[in-house]
Amino acid sequence: MTPLLRAIGLTKRFGGLAAVEDVSFDVAPGEIFAIIGPNGAGKTTVLNLLSGLLAPTSGRLELDGHDLTTRSTAERCHAGLGRAFQVVQPFPEMTVRDNVLVGALFGHPGVPRAEAERRADEALERTGLTALADVDAEELTLMQEKRLEIARALATQPRVLLLDEVMAGLRPAEARDAVQLVKGVRDGGVTVVFIEHVMPVVRDLADRVLVMDHGQVLTEGPYAEVVQDPRVIEAYLGKEGA
Amino acid sequence: MKRRTVPWDLVLVALVAVAAWFVPEAMKALFGRASISYLSLVINALSLAVLALSWDMLARTGQLSLAHAAFYGLGAYTTALLLKHLAWPIWIGIPLGGVVAVGFAVLLGSLTLRLRAIYFAIATLAFAEVLKSLVHNLPTEFAGGNAGMNVAPLFRPQFVAGQMERWEVAFLRNEAYFYVYAGLLVATVLASIVLQRSRLRHAFIAIRTNEDVAGVMGVRPARVKLLAFAVSSLFVGMLGAVEAHRVGSVLPDQSFAVATTVLALVTPIFGGLYTTLGPIVGAIGLSSVQELLKRSLSEGYLIGYGLVLVLSILFMPRGVVGVIGRALRRRRTNAQRRAIAMAGGGAPDEGASEPGAPPEPPARPGGTA
Repeated sequence: MTPLLRAIGLTKRFGGLAAVEDVSFDVAPGEIFAIIGPNGAGKTTVLNLLSGLLAPTSGRLELDGHDLTTRSTAERCHAGLGRAFQVVQPFPEMTVRDNVLVGALFGHPGVPRAEAERRADEALERTGLTALADVDAEELTLMQEKRLEIARALATQPRVLLLDEVMAGLRPAEARDAVQLVKGVRDGGVTVVFIEHVMPVVRDLADRVLVMDHGQVLTEGPYAEVVQDPRVIEAYLGKEGA
Repeated sequence: MKRRTVPWDLVLVALVAVAAWFVPEAMKALFGRASISYLSLVINALSLAVLALSWDMLARTGQLSLAHAAFYGLGAYTTALLLKHLAWPIWIGIPLGGVVAVGFAVLLGSLTLRLRAIYFAIATLAFAEVLKSLVHNLPTEFAGGNAGMNVAPLFRPQFVAGQMERWEVAFLRNEAYFYVYAGLLVATVLASIVLQRSRLRHAFIAIRTNEDVAGVMGVRPARVKLLAFAVSSLFVGMLGAVEAHRVGSVLPDQSFAVATTVLALVTPIFGGLYTTLGPIVGAIGLSSVQELLKRSLSEGYLIGYGLVLVLSILFMPRGVVGVIGRALRRRRTNAQRRAIAMAGGGAPDEGASEPGAPPEPPARPGGTA
C-alpha cells in the first residue's frame, strides 16, 4: 500500500547540535504508528517537524504524495495533519464546545458555520465530552482536558492525527479509556502517529513502532520485535542492563 | 444547540443610537447655556470610547500595541495635509485619514508579526516615536514642522440676529460634532460586534492564548492579526482626523502624543478588556472620574486620577465589566462543577492528575485495585 505520511531524512540541528538526524519512516493509511525512545531521543522534535512548529534543517515531509516541507502549521492542518499536545493547552476563556469549534471552523477553510458546529458536536460525541460541552475549559480535570485536546484535533477532520504523550499523568483506568478512545479514532478512518512513554499503552495500541535514540532511528517494527532488540534494551537500560 | 435568535447586542445599540439623537436638544432644554460645556464633556467621552474600543479590537489578538497614537496622528495629518495642499471637499479627509492609518498599520503589522508580548510592545512604541520625529522633520512648507498646521472646522454655524442668542452658535457647533462622534462610535461598536459574532472571535481568543496551538488548529495567525490591525487603525485614524477638525490644528507632539496611547490602553483595562462593552464603560467611567476630581480638587487632580487607576487595576483585574460578569458567572460555575462530577474523570484538583506524576497511585473508589 502506498504510504499516507512519509518522512524522508528529516534533520533538525540547533546550532551544532543535531536534535534529529536523518529520520525516515512511512505510515500507511489506517495505521497506528508509535514513536518511542528514552528522554531526549528527539521524539517531540520529530512531531514538531511534522506539524510545522519547527522547520527542518534538511529532509522532506509528504502527505499523500504532496510535499508539505515548507508549509505553515495552518496549511498542514488544512492538508489533514491534526495534532494534540502533550501539555494540554485549552483556551481557558472558552467553553468546551467553543474550544472544539475553533478546530472545526478553521481546520478547513470555508466550512459553513452550521457544518462546523455539526463537526464540533461530532468530535465531542466521539470523545465523550458532550455532557461537558457548555462547561468552561478551565474547569476540566486532566483526563477531560486530554479528551478535549483530542476532540479539538478531531474537529479539524484530520487524515493523520499526531498525539504527543496523551497518556502522561493518567491513572491506569484512565489510560485504558484513552487507549479505547484512540482505537475508536482509528476505526473512524484516521491514521494515528503517537509518542508514548507508557509501554503497555504502546503494546496495546501500536501496529508498528519506531524507536529513536540520540536523535536517530534505532529500529522499526512490530512491538514484540522491537522490545526484544538488544539495541533498544540498551538504549533504555544502559549497557549493564543489556 | 441553536444560537440565540434575538440579537440583543444589536437591539441595544439601536436603542442607544435612537436615544442619543435627542441628547443635545434635551441638554439644551435642561441646562440652557451650560449645555455647551456639558456637550463638550460628552464628546470627549465619545472620543475616548472610540479610541479605547479600536485599541481593544487589536488587543483581542494578543497584540498589546503602543502605536495607537501613531494611527491617530496619521489620520489627523492626512486631513490637515489634504486641506492645505488640495482643494478637496473637507469631509474626504476623514475616511482617507482612516485609509492612510490602515496602510501604515498593515506595514507595521507585517513587520511585527513574529514579535510577541513585550517585544511587540517595544517595536510598536518605537514605530510611533520614529513617525513622530519624521513628521517633525518634514519640510516646514509641506507639513508645518514644529508649528504644525491649522485645520478648518467641519461646521461653521452662523449667528442669525433675532432668531437665536449669541451662545447658541457654540451650542450648534457642539451639537453637530456630537452627531459626528456618536456616528463614529456607533460604526466602531458595530464593527466590534460583527467581529465578536463572527468566527474571528474564536480565532482571536485562540491566537491570544497560544499562537502555536491556534496555527496547528488551522487558524492563520498572520492574516487574522493583520486584519485586526487594519480594523483597529481604520477607526482610530478617522477619530484622529475628526479631532483635528474639532481642535483646529495638528502638531507633532499633540497629534502623536504618547498620552493618547496610554489612554487607549488604560480605558479598556479599567472597563474590561476584550469586550465591546468594556472600553465604552471604561470611557464613561474614566471621563466622569476625571471631571469629578477636576472639580473637587483643582490642584493635583491627576494624582487622584492615578490613584483611582491603580486601585481599580489592583481590585478589578478584569475591569468593571469583569466584576459584573463574575457575579453572574458564580451561579453558572456551580452548575458546571456538578456536570463535571456527573461526567466522571475525577475531582478537579486531585494531585494524582498532575502532568508527569507517575501513573501508579491507587485507582478511584470502585476502580481496579
